[in-house]
Amino acid sequence: MDPSEREQYRAAIHGDREAFEMIIRTHSRTLFAIAYGILQSREEAEDAVQDSLVKAWRTRWRVRDPEKFPVWLATIARHKARDVFRKRRTVPLPEQVTEPIEPGPSNTSALDHRLQSALAALPELHRAALTLRYFEEMDYRTIENTLGLTNGALRGILGRALASMRKELRPALASMD
Amino acid sequence: MATIHDEIDTWLTADLHGELSNNERSALHAHLVDCATCRKTHQEIKVMNKILEETLANEKPDPVFEQRMLAGFRNRVPQRSGLVKLLVDLMRLRATQIAAVAAVLLGLVQVGRMITGEPVTAPRERERYAQVEVTSPQPPESRPSQAGALDRSGGIAAGRPQDLALEAPAPPPAIRSKFREESKSVAATVAPAKTAQAETTEGDALAASPESPANAQEAGKTAVESPAPDLGNRKLIRNATVELEIVSFDNAVGKITAFANEEHGYVATTDSKKQANGKLKGQVVVKVLPENLDRILQKIRSVGELKNQTLGTEDVTKAYFDTDARLKNAHVMEQRLIDMLKTKTGKVSDLLQVEKELGRVREEIEKMQGELKYWDSQVQFATVTISLAEKDMEEPAAFLLKERAQLALYALDVEKIYNEIKSLASPKVQITNAQLNRDYSGRVSAQLGMLIAPEESDAVIGRVKGFGRVENFQMQTQRIGQGGSGMSENARTKRDKMELNITISREEQEQAFQQTSLRIRTYSVDEKAKELRTLAEKQGGRVRSSTFSGDPDGREVANVSLRVPLKNYPALMQSLDSLGKVQNVSVQRQDRAEPQVDESNAPADISIQVYSQGNIVTEESGLLATLRRTLAQSAGAIMWSLRMIGVAIAFLAPWAVAMVAVIWLARRVIRARKKL
Repeated sequence: MDPSEREQYRAAIHGDREAFEMIIRTHSRTLFAIAYGILQSREEAEDAVQDSLVKAWRTRWRVRDPEKFPVWLATIARHKARDVFRKRRTVPLPEQVTEPIEPGPSNTSALDHRLQSALAALPELHRAALTLRYFEEMDYRTIENTLGLTNGALRGILGRALASMRKELRPALASMD
Repeated sequence: MATIHDEIDTWLTADLHGELSNNERSALHAHLVDCATCRKTHQEIKVMNKILEETLANEKPDPVFEQRMLAGFRNRVPQRSGLVKLLVDLMRLRATQIAAVAAVLLGLVQVGRMITGEPVTAPRERERYAQVEVTSPQPPESRPSQAGALDRSGGIAAGRPQDLALEAPAPPPAIRSKFREESKSVAATVAPAKTAQAETTEGDALAASPESPANAQEAGKTAVESPAPDLGNRKLIRNATVELEIVSFDNAVGKITAFANEEHGYVATTDSKKQANGKLKGQVVVKVLPENLDRILQKIRSVGELKNQTLGTEDVTKAYFDTDARLKNAHVMEQRLIDMLKTKTGKVSDLLQVEKELGRVREEIEKMQGELKYWDSQVQFATVTISLAEKDMEEPAAFLLKERAQLALYALDVEKIYNEIKSLASPKVQITNAQLNRDYSGRVSAQLGMLIAPEESDAVIGRVKGFGRVENFQMQTQRIGQGGSGMSENARTKRDKMELNITISREEQEQAFQQTSLRIRTYSVDEKAKELRTLAEKQGGRVRSSTFSGDPDGREVANVSLRVPLKNYPALMQSLDSLGKVQNVSVQRQDRAEPQVDESNAPADISIQVYSQGNIVTEESGLLATLRRTLAQSAGAIMWSLRMIGVAIAFLAPWAVAMVAVIWLARRVIRARKKL
């Protein structure tokens, strides 16, 4: 890890608000990607990220090693998103789940719908990896670091994710071609 | 290339994402050229990737997302003021947390101490007291002057008696305060300077004779009343008694006579008595002028060791002057009666009456005159009564040696010896008490009391000792002083008749001097038991009891109890080896304190168990016994450690409960703050 980055994390852990705000600036998109991967809803994902940041600030002293700060942040975001997801399940709102949050143009709406359901069928970790890759165009290494994955595992995860989606969407793809 | 084909999705995805190395990419492309299925998949994946890129790009957060996040964060986590922030940050530091826990524990300990009543801050308290003690005593020389000043300012002195009582060093407080009151009354009448002077004289008087408060008061009074003393008219009788212990009576009387002459007095009476031990004891009465009394007392004290002294004064002034007045009246009466006789008028019977009355009056006059004379003599001379006793008055004149002896015998035939001792009786050996006791169980004992002339005593005791075995012999000698007590160098010593008490008991009743128990393993128990009997008899021993028993298993046990004289004991023990294997020998010896005991003839008991036993292995050895012992020990160890754990828990549990409570509270507080 970059020494200046490390110093930033250390300062944030010790209560340096400016350092923490800097971390918000650099990391909130990553966190959003993770949360969105789980929730597939921008509003909810944003709320989850917001909550995660506040929680991270309040419990920052629990982190011993500044190196682990980003992973820890990602873990918080994941847990928050999962909490929100679980709550949503107990109060079922089927329309909201199935309906695309931001409907695209009408000709692609059928495809979008299928895509959403295919995404929903994926394991949570796969979705997080996908969003990180496609939102932030992160390289594999960074994604692995962010999600706490071992070297090379991501390749398999993304490969399987794309494979299952490909199979799910084959009819639609065929029609597109 | 099988792996690429199997994991084609992974390879294709990585390729699309630009994560393949050059080698990998060329390998993939080579495979795609060969494999039609994979080429199809490649197409699909490419489309899929594109769709994903397009779709998810729509979902990407807008550019101001970060700003929104920051704003939201700032909204929800307001910037704290410096002090609160510092405090909160401090609370999160590990060191601070540890310190807080330590403080809480310390607080608990202090609370515990307060509850149990242990002194929490005792050392500091003690220090404070020490300081007070050091500072409170004031320099002693400053005190008298202070007291004087207070006295002079009378009113203040009366108002603060307790202060002064506390400060007064030597004289008792009571005297001090009285003497203050007096001086106060004086201060009211006499000039202050004079009071101060009076005080100093009083002080001197106190210092000179501190024996009694009455004296001091008197001295005070005389000092106060000194302007107008009328001692000359008072009739005071002074008496003193002195008790002395002296070395030589005659010498002391001589000295006292000399002192009396020196002080213009005289020795009135002397009497002496001689004690049985030749010491003298007596009384000397000396008369001296009252003003010389104190001086002669001082001198008399030097004659010997003062045991007791009293000094008394009797004021007879009133009685004296009463008698004097009555005497004058009686004289007038006498004169008138005489005048009546001179005129000689009236009847004879009247004259006789007058005559009789005159006789009575004269008698009264003489009595009163005698009384006055007596008083005069008493007042003129003071009486000193000196009791003298020579030293070592209590020394005895002679000593009497009283001897008392007690003898306990063991004999086989008590009755025979009893009769033999009785036959010793003669004018010089008198039997005072003889008793033979026989009870139902056949036990016989005898008691004899004798008075023996001193010259015969040793011979008689020697003979009696020869009759049996001496268990105990005690001799007590007492020297009794006659005509006194204590020590004397010259007194003679006389031997009195000796008192001898004899107790005879049967030998059987005697407790063995040494007890031995042993086991003999053999094959023919009955035979060996008989052999044992003959062995014992050879060594002068007797069989006291024997039992024999056998059980169906062929085990036989014979218990034989023997008694032999101690001198034959080793020989018997050696001969036992011939009977069989001797085991479990235990010897118990009861050494007695009395040195007179005839040890070689003292009885030794031996109880022998002769037994036969098969080939049974004893229980004390072998693998099983070892195992059993080991198990028992380990069980004991486990029980012990359990007990220790219990103790530890009992010690720690209250603390653990307290800690949990503190942690729980802290968590509650943090959670509550979070909710806010």
